[in-house]
Amino acid sequence: MSATEIPLENSAGRTTTSGIPYWAQHLLVFVIFMTIWEMSVRFEWVSALILPSPFDVVAAWWDLAIVRGLIWSHFAVTLTEVVVGFAIGAGFGVTIAVLSALSETFRRLVQPYMVALQVTPRIAIAPIIVAWLGFGMEPKMAIAAIICFFPIFINSLTGLMQVDSESLEMFHSMRASKWKIFRHLQLPGAMPVIMAGFKTGISLALIGAIVGEFVSASEGLGVLIQRFSFQLLLPQAFACLIMLTVMGLILYGTATFADRRIVFWQHEDLVNRISRRMRAKNADLLGKGPAV
Amino acid sequence: MNAVSQLKESPGTAGAARQEIISAEHIGKTFGGSVVALEDINFTVQQGDFISLIGPSGCGKSTLLRLVAGLLPASGGKLNVMGSPMTKPRPEIGMMFQKPTLLAWKSVMDNVLLPKTLAGGATRKDREKAIELLHLVGLEGFEYSFPNQLSGGMQQRVALARLLNTGAEILLLDEPFGALDEFTRERLNVELLRIQREVKATILFVTHNIQEAVFLADKVFVMTPRPGRLEEIVDVPLARPREMEITKSDEFNRRVFEIRDVLGAAT
Repeated sequence: MSATEIPLENSAGRTTTSGIPYWAQHLLVFVIFMTIWEMSVRFEWVSALILPSPFDVVAAWWDLAIVRGLIWSHFAVTLTEVVVGFAIGAGFGVTIAVLSALSETFRRLVQPYMVALQVTPRIAIAPIIVAWLGFGMEPKMAIAAIICFFPIFINSLTGLMQVDSESLEMFHSMRASKWKIFRHLQLPGAMPVIMAGFKTGISLALIGAIVGEFVSASEGLGVLIQRFSFQLLLPQAFACLIMLTVMGLILYGTATFADRRIVFWQHEDLVNRISRRMRAKNADLLGKGPAV
Repeated sequence: MNAVSQLKESPGTAGAARQEIISAEHIGKTFGGSVVALEDINFTVQQGDFISLIGPSGCGKSTLLRLVAGLLPASGGKLNVMGSPMTKPRPEIGMMFQKPTLLAWKSVMDNVLLPKTLAGGATRKDREKAIELLHLVGLEGFEYSFPNQLSGGMQQRVALARLLNTGAEILLLDEPFGALDEFTRERLNVELLRIQREVKATILFVTHNIQEAVFLADKVFVMTPRPGRLEEIVDVPLARPREMEITKSDEFNRRVFEIRDVLGAAT
């Protein structure tokens, strides 16, 4: 499995043995970190030209996002590039994985190209794609798609291939067709691994879109960061960077949410809820109301 | 018990002349052209028999079960089930494994309905039938639980209900309770005998526990390894229905020692 996951755990409300809630600990660390940063600029330990102070960054963000409001259209452009690029990459990744899982011949034939794609630094394709597709959003979508394709393909294939041998025998003993085995055993069984691939892929798609914007673009957060940096307007560049962090969190959060819904059986709270709902819905079938 | 109404009444289970349902003549199985897993296996099974297959690891008991299931082809000999040669899995034969092999994303109900789903779709009648089967295996009230919410023993009960729902008359059980604790295993063994009485199935049961093999079976097939052979067939003429009490009887223990001697002499 190639997916690396950083769990975004919801630690709200829990307390430690010391009695200080987790959120208070996090807040404390954040405040200390920000204070040191602010002081290091104020007392000129670091030049404000190189590292803008947190206050300057917030002021720049306020100007860009609220007063002039120009950051949002760029935010929307980058987000669109990422989402469309991810959809294309995920579509291809899952489709080719499914074909590879179903046909050994297909798997053998595509394998060399997959290895070639894996060892090539995919970011190096960016200028070529721009040369092909021009300066609009399309080349960024294409680069995002190419970069996120691979982990999604590999995860999906791994998931689809790791079928439990006894479950497979059980399906065979029931004379299930290849399609029924795929539909009822292979695909649902692979969903946890496929979703892990999606989570890795969505973050990579964001990298792909930004790289595309760096190569050549007129719109997008990557363009803004580049421009502000060239003009040494670092507070503005940092403000754009923070917007990218926010975008990354939204994308990853969405993928995590979808993962929980789709792979519900791995989450105790969801299983309990769905089980209760099914029991209520089928009360007439069960005869005597909700049991146990 | 109408939970099993779909299963055909086996003619003559009570009478003397029971039908021969499985016959094996000189069957062998070789893997990769050189590894002999089974050699010259001969036996017959009558309808309604409970057969235990016992032997140490590597004696080919699971392989033999897969030959009867039609999951593997025999390398030689004749294997007939219900009068026709075994070539591929058949609706009259169902199998259950050491792992429950339940689908985690389906409710207990939908797991039991799997045979119907694979055959084209489950009707309301199928659902009512599944509820009856779950009642039969002692899982009333867990119809809409999910496998992860159940204990290992309960998961195997679901697997058993699913097996019964295939409508198979020959049930092949490959160490079905092997991964469970001793108490759960004993309780399930007693219940398996009760269920067999109700559904009148023919059962082949693989185990490596001698007590379990004797407790359940009409006949114990004792197998020895390298190459896998059917060393001896031990009859167990203990009265039915059986309760755990019989494991204390001399008659029971004589069979256990007899089987232990066969296995001891061969290894």
